[in-house]
Amino acid sequence: MSKVTPPRAAFIDHPVGRTFGPPHDRKRNEAVLSKALAELPKFTHPGEIRDLGDAWSPGGSRAWEDELCVEMLQDR
Amino acid sequence: MPFDYLPVMAQNSAPKPPRVLVLPSKPAWQPACKSVGESRVALLSSAAARLADQEPFIPREDLSYRKVSADPNAGEIIIDHHSGIGRVPKQDPEIIFPRTALASLAERGVIGSRAPFYFSFMGGVRQHQRIENELAPALAKELADAQVDLALLVPY
Repeated sequence: MSKVTPPRAAFIDHPVGRTFGPPHDRKRNEAVLSKALAELPKFTHPGEIRDLGDAWSPGGSRAWEDELCVEMLQDR
Repeated sequence: MPFDYLPVMAQNSAPKPPRVLVLPSKPAWQPACKSVGESRVALLSSAAARLADQEPFIPREDLSYRKVSADPNAGEIIIDHHSGIGRVPKQDPEIIFPRTALASLAERGVIGSRAPFYFSFMGGVRQHQRIENELAPALAKELADAQVDLALLVPY
């Protein structure tokens, strides 16, 4: 995101393609969306990225990264 | 430390050259004139998402877009994007195109209202100039016509 400077960007540390949480978790979908929208008044300049501070796994595990790499390389 | 997607995307593109990330030629900043609670909100997605009865996108350089009803009960969402990450969101497109969550926020008064339609197009297209000169202005006109105050683009 930092390289293409969208006017306002909210970053969430979820795997790409799971922006609003795991499948069928409506509570989490809504919580993430609500958090992102709540950032609107805090932006002060173009290209600013605000971190929503949300981890994918409750314990902060990064094990999802290996699985995601495999998925990303499947469309070659 | 956030996951570094660019090296994996470069590996994915090989033997084609890695994607070039292009800055917009014009500044895109607009002041927010209304609060979120007063705003009409629209979603945009680069997942090439559409309703099942709409014309399919053609990977990988399709520059068209689809106008999708904001009503979560309007029909099944199909994701046409070619990316390998689609296995999970195809099980539940709400995790990249949260029509149900936005409808709930509208009902609860968190946002002013939802736009009647949302928009989706193909992400990862390499024709940057045509995106800026054709696709983006067409989407901007759709949003202006629908009197949208706030558009949230969910990258895919």
